[in-house]
Amino acid sequence: MKTRVVVTGLGVVSPIGIGVPIFWKAALEGRSGITAIPPFGDLPLEAYRCRVAGQVTGFESVRFPESVNPDRVDRYAQFALVATQEALADSGLRMDREPPHRVGVIVGAGMGGMVMGEREITQLYQSLKPNRVHPNFIPTITLNSASGIVAMACGAKGPNLTISTACSSSAHALGQALTCIRSGQADVVITAGADASITPLVFAGFCSLRVLSTGFNEEPERASRPFDLARDGFVMGEGAGALILESLAHAKKRKARIYAEVAGYAATSEAYHMVIPREDGTDVAATMKLALDDADVTPAQVDYINAHATSTPIGDAVEAKAIRRLFKTRADRILINASKSLIGHTLGAAGAMGAIASSLALETGQVHPTANYENSDPACALAGISRDTQERPLKVALLNAFGFGSNNAALVLKRFA
Amino acid sequence: MGASSAIAPRIHQALADYLKRDVQTITPDQALREDLGLDSMATIELLFRIEEAFDLQIPDGDLQKLVTVANVTAYVEGRLAPASPATPRKPSPKQAAAKPAKRKKN
Repeated sequence: MKTRVVVTGLGVVSPIGIGVPIFWKAALEGRSGITAIPPFGDLPLEAYRCRVAGQVTGFESVRFPESVNPDRVDRYAQFALVATQEALADSGLRMDREPPHRVGVIVGAGMGGMVMGEREITQLYQSLKPNRVHPNFIPTITLNSASGIVAMACGAKGPNLTISTACSSSAHALGQALTCIRSGQADVVITAGADASITPLVFAGFCSLRVLSTGFNEEPERASRPFDLARDGFVMGEGAGALILESLAHAKKRKARIYAEVAGYAATSEAYHMVIPREDGTDVAATMKLALDDADVTPAQVDYINAHATSTPIGDAVEAKAIRRLFKTRADRILINASKSLIGHTLGAAGAMGAIASSLALETGQVHPTANYENSDPACALAGISRDTQERPLKVALLNAFGFGSNNAALVLKRFA
Repeated sequence: MGASSAIAPRIHQALADYLKRDVQTITPDQALREDLGLDSMATIELLFRIEEAFDLQIPDGDLQKLVTVANVTAYVEGRLAPASPATPRKPSPKQAAAKPAKRKKN
């Protein structure tokens, strides 16, 4: 008998708002957080093929916990810090009442501390003064700075891990948190995903890779359009999502509010190509099936899919093909949405963002719109995608997340009963 | 034909260098994907070299036109000589050079 694991707290820093109530209200209204990017210093903005992104605003006024110095970490880790603090407060977990070694922290991050990373590299080559590299450069760019500072802020002394699998990072963070609690290593895992790399070099790199939308620079809010016929690439986002995962027994003992149960997880590699998914969708379908098996759920029981759906022509088509391959005729009866239509692709935070949307969907029965879904594409037409909020009692949700490096993750969440 | 004779060999050489094979084995009628085995990532890497070599920016929307080696050559020729009959739109080279993104449809 597997230990049951539940979600008891949520927190978010996103392009459509900081804080879960603001995020969820904006999501249900289908509001886009995609805006034009400001110039990167003196660099010619027109040389960036894509000039839109999902940017977090209002973060300057956020208050950090007094127990840590937020200046010691980069923007992505600050996002993680704020999101996990909200999730902890939301969960009602009192760290002073928990054995500290029984509370872990697992964070997913794809890019890490690129703000300081790019700045210091630039300054080094311009100044030619290696002795002026900032003393905090290494601790800041080290990829586990977020999981480190989150633990420091709340005194969590259990397993402390960082998962970096590009765009599936935080889906795996959630999966590994599930595994950690099931194995008995921890009662609670503070789980998060975070990235903040709308930075001159990273953004240029994604432009050169030709994966970003370039046709909507004058209409940013229309640029992220998963599954739509006119989609032409993803839109980079930034932010952090946090979920408190704990064993059901632990949650019950402290009479916690339960959003959803995390019931299944699968991790696979396509062993195929660094950036291209296997086009027949077989590996994605197999990943979803493995997660359902882990949750003891059949395809016929799935009500809702929070799709990876980044808005790239190939990626969305492959995912839709995989959904049809696994769910067959039921594929058109499952509600499907794409959180990236609202906030863009937050890279390492994407899985956590989707898991927050899924947890709230299971709790409320509301599935947020897929913004800009105007004309279906025969290559990925599924009847359950809508640009309107959909309402229906939901029992089982599936969350997909795929990353460069031929990496796939799937999670199954259930309405708690 | 002057432009063609200058550009085609450079594109063939760029392909040969990228694929690490003899330039004599590259012919205009070869399809980048089916005959030369370039997947989408490899095509992007190749075009990155061609952009550098010819000082061009190739919009994403133009990628689908580039199916064969001859397509790439003709495309580069058209872009370098925008007033030629191959690309009757945008007669002013200055306009085309200043706003390459405007050529994109979607």
